[in-house]
Amino acid sequence: MSARATEDLQAGPAPGERREPPAQAPAAAGKGRARLAPGDLLNLIGRNVALFIFLTLVILASLFVNNFAALDNAVVILKQSAIPAIAVIGMTMVLMTGGIDLSLGYVVGLASIVSGIMANTWLWPAPAVLAAILALGLALGLCNGLITQFMRVPAFIATLGTGYVLYGLAQIVSQGSIINRLPKDFLAIGRTPMFGLPSAVFLALGVAVAFHLLISRTIYGRQLKAFGFGARTAALSGVPGARINVSVYAFCATLAALSGLLFTIRVNAAQPNMGGGVFTFEVVTAAIVGGTSLFGGVGSVANSILGVLSIKIIENCINLLGVSYHLYLAVQGAIILVAIIFGNLTNRRA
Amino acid sequence: MLKPLVSMRGVTKFIYGGDGRPLRNTDVKILEEVDFDLFPGEVHVLVGENGAGKSTLMKILGGVIPPDRGELEIDGARVNLADARDAREKGVAFIHQELNLCANLDVAHNIFLGREPRRRGLKDAGEMYRRSAELLKALSTDLDPRLPVARLSTAQQQLVEIAKAMSFQSRVVIMDEPTASLTKREIDVLFELIRRMRAEGMGIVYISHRFEEILAIGDRFTVLRDGRRVGTLPIQAFKPDSVIWMMAGRSIDEMYPRAHAVHPEPVLEVHGLRLTPRTPPIDLVVRRGEVVGLGGLVGSGRTELAKSVFGARRFHGGEVRYLGRKTNGWSPARLIRAGVAYLSEDRKTEGLIPPMSIRENLTLASLRSVATLGFLSRPREERQAARLIDELSIVARSSEQIVSTLSGGNQQKCVLGKWLCTAPQLLMLDEPTRGIDVGAKAQIHKLIDQIAGAGVGILMISSELPELIGISDRVYVMREGGVAAELEAGPELTQERVVACMV
Repeated sequence: MSARATEDLQAGPAPGERREPPAQAPAAAGKGRARLAPGDLLNLIGRNVALFIFLTLVILASLFVNNFAALDNAVVILKQSAIPAIAVIGMTMVLMTGGIDLSLGYVVGLASIVSGIMANTWLWPAPAVLAAILALGLALGLCNGLITQFMRVPAFIATLGTGYVLYGLAQIVSQGSIINRLPKDFLAIGRTPMFGLPSAVFLALGVAVAFHLLISRTIYGRQLKAFGFGARTAALSGVPGARINVSVYAFCATLAALSGLLFTIRVNAAQPNMGGGVFTFEVVTAAIVGGTSLFGGVGSVANSILGVLSIKIIENCINLLGVSYHLYLAVQGAIILVAIIFGNLTNRRA
Repeated sequence: MLKPLVSMRGVTKFIYGGDGRPLRNTDVKILEEVDFDLFPGEVHVLVGENGAGKSTLMKILGGVIPPDRGELEIDGARVNLADARDAREKGVAFIHQELNLCANLDVAHNIFLGREPRRRGLKDAGEMYRRSAELLKALSTDLDPRLPVARLSTAQQQLVEIAKAMSFQSRVVIMDEPTASLTKREIDVLFELIRRMRAEGMGIVYISHRFEEILAIGDRFTVLRDGRRVGTLPIQAFKPDSVIWMMAGRSIDEMYPRAHAVHPEPVLEVHGLRLTPRTPPIDLVVRRGEVVGLGGLVGSGRTELAKSVFGARRFHGGEVRYLGRKTNGWSPARLIRAGVAYLSEDRKTEGLIPPMSIRENLTLASLRSVATLGFLSRPREERQAARLIDELSIVARSSEQIVSTLSGGNQQKCVLGKWLCTAPQLLMLDEPTRGIDVGAKAQIHKLIDQIAGAGVGILMISSELPELIGISDRVYVMREGGVAAELEAGPELTQERVVACMV
């Protein structure tokens, strides 16, 4: 300790030498190094909430739910998770900017019926359908992004509006019918078996890895994070805020359209009611369980996908226990409420 | 010749080691051979930087701690003070910066705490209130002795402390920064009281950092530096420049170093720029290696001018040239890549991303320089961050520390570091030392000088006139959206001139 520090008790720390509080709690310091102190454990959990929730659910479900811990059941959960896992990536990016995309589920519906028409009625080859659906998603996303960015409409309102427009369009395009029995080459996009799983799962994995790298390793990802935390600082640091803000909606709708296409393939039926508000809600819940902040800045592809797996485990358990499916919806609502209340509390403290 | 009330001779206090024993063999001491006198009827001001030893010296006089060496005389009699109570009984009252009153008790109980008047072994409340009222009346205040202290203002609590000091028949009163949390009016009342105490022959030791107060109330002053007495002089000799020199051991020149040299070629030229359709056109030039100050009142258009140059704000007519190229309509991103930087006055919402790490903040404006094909290189980022943390002496646990947990000065260094990463040719600084401590301020001044020395043109907005005048080679003063004056550094550039142009 320096002379200064002992001398002037009232003066506090010397200028420029303000020290941070010790990283470890005093309780942790006293105990042996090998053992984790409670404070450290909490800290570890705090940094990996999504993983902690996922593992806790797996353990609890394995212990208390019959037939949960079986390979067949794991395959079911993976199959069910693949499609929302693709959609949650885009939603995570939108949430990272502090916005939200409520039209996501309706893009799924429109993509489904349009892909059915292209594949079945117009007899387009599968790659052409895939490309066209991605382009459709991109176009819809650009609309969302441009409206929120340049018309200064809050994302919540803008995407609620565009969502209903898309829902109406999907109903008109379908003329109220469902398209069944889709061509084989089209179905092959998501149904080709690989290592005992349908190709949709690996497609989702590929998309996830690509976007995980985009968000965690690139200039774009860093700028997205900065923009979400502090748009003004970001803008004055040369971050192209408008471009980023529009791009996240474009990514979100493109991935939603891909989800719609894969959904159509999975159920072998193109229908305008696919997705919808229920799907949007499920995806937002998954992102939140994955630790994504509704206030912007915080988000990770890997964690959001753990969030999808977690809520799919909850859904799976509700099925296995023979409880009403509506409990699943209630649980989702409760999760979002808790997240918002908790977020508000921590924001107030900060 | 008057006899001194208090006389301290050769007072020395060692640093204490971890074992609680004094370290007698080191050169560094908290106090070394300090002499201090206080005469009846005088206000003796004690000045010095934090850590100079003022508080320790007064704690010795107040009996809070004993000296390791040296003598203390009160009223000509040698004394060894046992504790604070002993000192109080010998007539020394210590009014601490943080007031030591019991909030739950009333005024009278606080004044007579621990020595309540008694009658036949029982507390004589009537006598206590009567005497309290007398004491308070003598201070010409009509404070009710029955009021609980919790309901008093800071100034009123201070009055209670003073009343308490008077009740001890104190002849020496030590006041440690008594005006720190008082309003202007309350300070006037306090000073009136101090003058009356002085007139009654009491001696007052007054610790303060505020020069204007020292001049208003002091009779003599003593400067301490690093535990030694630098000098004791009459207040007439109190000149801010020389006192700063006595306190810090460095002159104003060293506080505002100026080692850089101005090159003739311009970095920034502004011609006829209008901030709004109704404001006058602005002409301005910043040369290579030059520090140009931009003074003016808040709202005079200084920030707006910098933001206009930075492409972050629309302006009306005129042109901006950077290194000879017209940059009207360029975005901040494009200007940053070309070498223009703007450090905002609003650190929290325009300078930093508080929840992100030091590393992420430092590289935010220059991500391309640490990336290949859009992919960030973590090792390159870390090297960059480590270099800046070292160059700017940012005090942090690691480059991964979250910026919001840093002190103001270190946060400001992070913002400056962010802009240095962009290798700027033109650096615009908007209130670069606002809200940071003195030590960090001096460091930032030094950095500004070094940056200019490397050939960067600097446009510095500052509301602190000593800083503006101390660092700038040239100063533009703005008024109502236009440039009112251009002043060259030199004898002509004075605070009075700048202020006269501002309003």
